[in-house]
Amino acid sequence: MKVVFTLVRKNLLESRWLLLICSAALFGLCWLFVYVAHRIEAAIGEATGGGRSPVGMLRGLGGSSMDFSTAAIEMAFWNHPFVLLIFSIWAIARGSIAVAGEIEKGTMDLVLSRPVDRSAFLASQVITAVLGLALMAGAMLVGNVIGSRYHTLIAPASAATLAKPALNLMAFGWAIFGYTFVLSTLDIARWRPNLIGSVATLAGFIALVLANIPQLEVEWLARFSIFKAYDPVEVVVKGESLAFNAGVLGLIGLVGVGLGFVLFARRDLPAGS
Amino acid sequence: MIATDGLTKIYGSTRALTDLTMDVRKGEVYGLLGPNGSGKTTTIRLLLGLLRPTSGRATVAGFDVWRQSLEVRSLVSYLPGELRLIGSMSGLGLLKFLSSLRGGVGLDRAVAIAERVMRLDLRRKVRTFSTGMKQKLALAQAFADPVEILILDEPTSALDPSARADVLQLVTEARDAGQTVIFSGHVLSEVEQVSDRVAIMRRGRLMHVEDMHDRRGLRMVLVRYDGPPPESIPEELGLGLRNRQGGVDLLEHRGEVGPLLGWLQANRVVDLAVGTEDLKTLYDKFHGPDAPDADDEVIPE
Repeated sequence: MKVVFTLVRKNLLESRWLLLICSAALFGLCWLFVYVAHRIEAAIGEATGGGRSPVGMLRGLGGSSMDFSTAAIEMAFWNHPFVLLIFSIWAIARGSIAVAGEIEKGTMDLVLSRPVDRSAFLASQVITAVLGLALMAGAMLVGNVIGSRYHTLIAPASAATLAKPALNLMAFGWAIFGYTFVLSTLDIARWRPNLIGSVATLAGFIALVLANIPQLEVEWLARFSIFKAYDPVEVVVKGESLAFNAGVLGLIGLVGVGLGFVLFARRDLPAGS
Repeated sequence: MIATDGLTKIYGSTRALTDLTMDVRKGEVYGLLGPNGSGKTTTIRLLLGLLRPTSGRATVAGFDVWRQSLEVRSLVSYLPGELRLIGSMSGLGLLKFLSSLRGGVGLDRAVAIAERVMRLDLRRKVRTFSTGMKQKLALAQAFADPVEILILDEPTSALDPSARADVLQLVTEARDAGQTVIFSGHVLSEVEQVSDRVAIMRRGRLMHVEDMHDRRGLRMVLVRYDGPPPESIPEELGLGLRNRQGGVDLLEHRGEVGPLLGWLQANRVVDLAVGTEDLKTLYDKFHGPDAPDADDEVIPE
C-alpha cells in the first residue's frame, strides 16, 4: 500500500500543473456561471414583472425543457464544451500515460525494476486519475457554492444537490479514462492511445449531435455516445437518470480498467522507445 | 544464484534470444559481452520479469523470473542501459522515491555514495544533471540497495575516467561483500578488470564463457627455434600450440613456470617473448573481422 501511495504522489507531482490549472479554471468558470445565472434570473424577473419566481409558469408552458429554476440554469452551464473538454483532456492524458507514456518516458523501468507489483503500479495510475477527476469536479462544486454567496440567486443549488452532477461528471471522465487506459496498457508509444481516445470521444460527441438533428432520424446514434449519459440539468431537476447514467459510465470505465489490468499482467515491457 | 535453461525470446519473426543456458554463481561478477543486438539486454529484462520467455525458464535464487518476478526484484537492483530518470525531482527526491519503492531501505547509503563518491549536488533538479551525473545518481542507488544481486547494464557508458574507476571499485567492493553482479558492457578492459567469468554473446546466442581467473594465468609464449620446431608439444606442461609459422611457434601456457623453462632449454630456443592475451583477442574470435558467420557455431566453456 505504501508503494501505491508513493507512486500516486509521484504521478500527482508530475501532473500537478495540468491538474491545478484545470481545477482553477473550472473553479473560476463555475463562479462565472453563477454570476451569469444571477444575471439571467434578474432578466427573467424583469421580463415577468419581478417579485415572483417565474419557474412554475414557464414549466407549465414548456415542461422540463423550459425549466428555469436556479439549479437548472446553473447546471446548464455544466454542459459547457469547455467543461467537457477539460475533463476529456485529463482522462485521456492520464489514460494514455498510464503504461504507454511511462514506457515512452523510460520511467517504467525505473519503477518496475524495483519490487513493485504490476497491479500496484496500475492501481496508482487509476487512483491518480480518479483523484484528479474528483479534484476538478470538487473545484466546480466549490466554485458554484462560493459564487452563489457573492451573487444572489433565487434558489441556489446546495452542495448536496451539486454533488450529483459532479458525480455524473466524474463518471463521464472515468469512462473516457477507461477506454484510453486499456489502449495504453497495450502500447509502447503514448500518441496512439492519445489519438484513439481522442477520436473515440469526439466520435461520441458527433454521434450525439447527429442524433439530436430530427431531420436525420438517427436518434439511435445517441446510444453510442457517452455524452448522452451526462445530463447535469436532468440530474438536479429530476434526478431520475443519475443512477443509470453513472452506472453505465462507471461500467465502461470499469471494463476498460479491468481489461487493462489483465492485459498488463501478461505483456512484455520492452525498453523505452 | 541465477540459472537459465533453454531461455528463448522471440518477437514476431525476430529471435532476440535463442536457447540460453547459463549459470551465474553466488558472489561472482559475471561479465556479459556482445555488440548491440546480441541479446544482453533481452537476457537482463527476462531475468527481471519485464519480458515473458517464449520458451525455457530462468530462476534467480530459486524464484521463477516470470511467475515470481516480485520476489526476484526484491533481491535485485538494476541499472538500465538506457537510463531515464524523473527530471522534475531533485536528486535527493529521486533517491527517496526509489528507496521508498524498496520499503525505504538504503537511502542513507545512497545519499552517502552520491555525495561523497559521486560528488553530486542532490539539491539540484535531476533535469539539470548531465547524462553522466544522472548515471552516477542511478549508480549510487543501485550500489546502496541492500540486495543480493546487482545487474548493471553498461554502467560506465556516460562516465568520465575517474568516475569509471570509482564504479569499478564499487563493483569489486560489492563482490567482496558477497553480492552477485552481472556486468554488461562494451568496454572490454573494464569487463576484463572486474569479471570472474565473461560470457560472450552473439545474435541472441551464448557463444562462449571464459573463466577470467584461468585467463589471467594464461601466458602467450612466442618461440623461435634454432632449426625445425619440435614435432610434439608436451601438453602435460600446460602448453598448447596456437600457431606455427616456419621455425616460430606461438604457444599458450597455463601452469608452473619451472617445467616450461626446462623444456625451452632442451629445445634449442634462440629467441623468446612471453606476454599475456587481452580479452579483445578472445572477443574478436566471435566478433572480429575473421569471426565465422555461422549462427550456430557455439564454443563450449
